Amino acid sequence: MDLAGGTGSLLRRWWHWLLLLAGVATLQWLFRTVDSFPAGLDTFFSDPIDRFARWSQANRRTHWLFTTIFNPFSDAVRVGLNSVESALLWVPWFVLPIAVFLLVARSRNRLQAVVASLAMAYPGVVGLWEVTVETLALMTIAVLFSVLLGVPLGVACALHQRVNQAMRPVLDAMQTVPAPVYFVPMALFFGIGAVPATMATVIYALPPVVRLTTLGIMEVPSQAVEASTVFGASRRQTLRKVQLPMAMPTIMAGVTQTIMMALGIVVLATLLGAGGLGQEVMATLTQRRTGRGIATGLTVVAIAVVLDRVGRAIAGMDRSTAPGRMVTGMAIGGVLSLVLVGRVVGWIDFPEMWDVKAFDPIDDLMDWIRDNLRWFTRGMNDAVIIWFYLPVRDFLTETLAWPVLVFGTAWTGWRVRNWHLAVFIAGALTFIGLIGMWDLSIDTLTQVVAAVILSVVIAIPVGIWAGQSRRVEAALGPLLDAFQTIPSLVYIIPAVTLFTVGVVPGIIASVIYALPPGVRITALGISQVPEESLEASEMFGASPRQTLIRVRLPLAAATIMVGINQVIMMVLAMVIISGLVGGGGLGFETVSAVKNSDVGIGFEVGAAIVAMAMVLDRLTQAGADRFRPPAAT
Amino acid sequence: MTIGEGQSASLEVEGVWKVFGQRPDRALAMADDGRSRAEIQEVTGQTIGVRDVSFEAHKGETFVVMGLSGSGKSTLVRCVARLTDVTRGVVRLDGRDLTAMDEADLRQIRRDKMSMVFQHFGLFPHRRVIDNVGYGLEVQGLRRDERHERAERVLDLVGLEGWGDHYPQQLSGGMQQRVGLARALVVEPAVLFFDEPFSALDPLIRREMQEELLRLQASMHRTIVFVTHDFDEAIKLGDRIAIMKDGEFDQVGTAEDLITRPATDYVREFTKAVSRAKVLTASSVMDDDAVVPASRSVSRGTSVEAIIALLLADPEPIAVVGEDGERVGSVDRSAVIELI
Ligand SMILES: Nc1ncnc2c1ncn2[C@@H]1O[C@H](COP(=O)(O)OP(=O)(O)OP(=O)(O)O)[C@@H](O)[C@H]1O
Ligand SMILES: [Mg+2]
Repeated sequence: MDLAGGTGSLLRRWWHWLLLLAGVATLQWLFRTVDSFPAGLDTFFSDPIDRFARWSQANRRTHWLFTTIFNPFSDAVRVGLNSVESALLWVPWFVLPIAVFLLVARSRNRLQAVVASLAMAYPGVVGLWEVTVETLALMTIAVLFSVLLGVPLGVACALHQRVNQAMRPVLDAMQTVPAPVYFVPMALFFGIGAVPATMATVIYALPPVVRLTTLGIMEVPSQAVEASTVFGASRRQTLRKVQLPMAMPTIMAGVTQTIMMALGIVVLATLLGAGGLGQEVMATLTQRRTGRGIATGLTVVAIAVVLDRVGRAIAGMDRSTAPGRMVTGMAIGGVLSLVLVGRVVGWIDFPEMWDVKAFDPIDDLMDWIRDNLRWFTRGMNDAVIIWFYLPVRDFLTETLAWPVLVFGTAWTGWRVRNWHLAVFIAGALTFIGLIGMWDLSIDTLTQVVAAVILSVVIAIPVGIWAGQSRRVEAALGPLLDAFQTIPSLVYIIPAVTLFTVGVVPGIIASVIYALPPGVRITALGISQVPEESLEASEMFGASPRQTLIRVRLPLAAATIMVGINQVIMMVLAMVIISGLVGGGGLGFETVSAVKNSDVGIGFEVGAAIVAMAMVLDRLTQAGADRFRPPAAT
Repeated sequence: MTIGEGQSASLEVEGVWKVFGQRPDRALAMADDGRSRAEIQEVTGQTIGVRDVSFEAHKGETFVVMGLSGSGKSTLVRCVARLTDVTRGVVRLDGRDLTAMDEADLRQIRRDKMSMVFQHFGLFPHRRVIDNVGYGLEVQGLRRDERHERAERVLDLVGLEGWGDHYPQQLSGGMQQRVGLARALVVEPAVLFFDEPFSALDPLIRREMQEELLRLQASMHRTIVFVTHDFDEAIKLGDRIAIMKDGEFDQVGTAEDLITRPATDYVREFTKAVSRAKVLTASSVMDDDAVVPASRSVSRGTSVEAIIALLLADPEPIAVVGEDGERVGSVDRSAVIELI
């Protein structure tokens, strides 16, 4: 073997690394004197948008765009919100828990019925019913809109290939965008208040119902559709009599997801002045009342529990096992007469039993922890800031020339997928720089990286542990459920109480927020490994450790990567939200833009967030694909 | 009730092609040059599902299409029922060209004349049995009580009285296909398509369903296009049988034709496993000119199986007589043994 050939093959194997090295060195040297990204398009977007915002401010009452479209629409939504609200308050307090009990008990599960009914009573018990009703009204209207919009869209996607191709990337993008980004355009068109909050919720919650409607329709066996056609049914008849009814369970699953997403965002929507539970949470946040914050947060969990159990009871209602008409009729009649009795007797508002003050001992506990664990929290705070956050941020913004970062990320995209992704990444990053969001984005990115590292370090081992043991998984399940439904803002309260203001509470809250899906998906990946593969490994005398490292982990790797992708996306969303507590970066800018109606900046920040979210999402998804074993052919 | 009084229709299929893929023209051009299906698949990436198939199913005839998995049977039925577009060729129902029809006319003709029974039943799980059966009437716009009454009657006919209020998935496989059959019969179709309707059933039930279909067809005389991969089933049900391979018909004929005069090795391969004694008749084993003295006689159409029974009882040759009672030949042991 001659030397030249050896060098050749080495070169062939390593040339992309050489390319990276050469590129980085050259760019770093070329741009050593240029310090920040030339924001060539700094005002390119914000100027026209600001102009439009000013114009719309001035013409809100006169121009036809507002007087014939946006304003009447707003009014209609407002009427809807108010009527749902007053309807819920009109009903005597004891009726809803009883109705929920009866509904869930239909599926013959008494225990679940009791749980759901207690959850329904919880907001009233802690004295938050009226606030909760505001939030419920917003959700109801938003979900109604999402379904009215989403189901036809989903059907169109299922029936027309073209529509589907056009919608898919839009839906993908919608699901990667952190919710606060939607607030800015809504504020632009609808101002501040419950209406823009409703519309932002609609957009945020729309994708699942569209997707699952499409899926449901496409999953209808072709034989059923053909059977309908062959008997001379028109397309409309087939859709109405066969496809929609058969897709209904899947569509309902989509609606449930949409409801949960709406629930997840309503608290945040307070940034748009929506009132309701969100406002309450914000109040506890500024007062650092962890106990009350938790009490309020649990309200959202309680609503989620009620919706989930009721939804399941409805979905699980098999026609053949459902109770007869008589029983149903009696139940409905009973509930109606309860309403009547309550109204006549005047027993309507919740009796004052408790209020959020009952949770004040938690505040004392938190204060005690804060005072006595100062050595730890302070130490951790300083460690994260001094050893990680500042050095990384400064390295990325000051030491490294910006083209190096663009080149390096694009190179990674090229390696994990193809040059299309590389071009996309380079374009997206350059865009962020050009609109003048480079430094803020790097700031946010640094926080995201810190939170992701922490989350992954905790989530993966816990997930592996849970995935190997049914018992651990069963024990963690309800805990993770609760964590996933507690509104994200609530996490910030204890974090702020313990770690005061700055980036660290945001990072901590992000970690807590992103842990559940990380653990869940890792556990899923681990437990999905086929039993046969494990037995095969054991038969060859592998130790449990060897089986874990050589069989389980490699086979679960793709799923775990999907989990990491989820973690990253959730961390990003939360880091944006934690801008509220002085986390700085893009989040803070969004919040202040919404608050100050600084729409132009708001748009730019939104665009930067979207670009960053898409880069992170595509990179990690491409990474996940590389771990997948090749498909059978 | 019987479903006998209705009309039946003739079905003509002329040079029908079906190509799956974006560029059917390229595949057709290659096929016209006489290239094989595999070659065309290789070069153009287009799949030929049906290749130049022609046949006619007469009024009241059961025409069976028989072939192995992937031979294109389902595709052919879907072309004929116009569930899919025909790439080239013509399908006529009572002289009316289905391939040239617009959506609305086609729908009307389906409502009036066609129905179909599917391999995996194609039932609607969200509808009760009675509403499954009444579906064809429902899309025609019939009133509910009339639908139910007619559906009820056909359910009785297929032996499912009293099951109307159940959901299909609560029934056994055989019963589900009875529902499929009832759903197809209730619209009194002139043409019935069957796409391997019984192959998902276990053998006993399958035989039962075959008998059921024979019984119904004996009184209703509909035109039936029946797809199967089971030659025994084809023999049992079919007036004529087409053997399909790689999208083409190898041979079309009666069961006896196929067994005694297979056109290709492929057809021979299929017919080999069949119990010949059951299918063949006196006319294909007899010796035409031997005028042996015989004390017994059988008609031309007597199955060989029956003749064997006679010969076992008494080894003397048997005379074969024609329709008018004249002698046309004779059968002896050696002829029968040679056949088997
Ligand atoms: N929609 C389609 N697109 C592409 N190719 C198809 C399509 N439908 C069928 N084919 C191909 O056409 C050929 C014939 O399929 P078809 O379903 O008609 O066979 P079949 O004889 O009914 O088989 P089976 O007994 O399995 O039902 C097969 O090679 C199949 O792969
Ligand atoms: Mg088939």
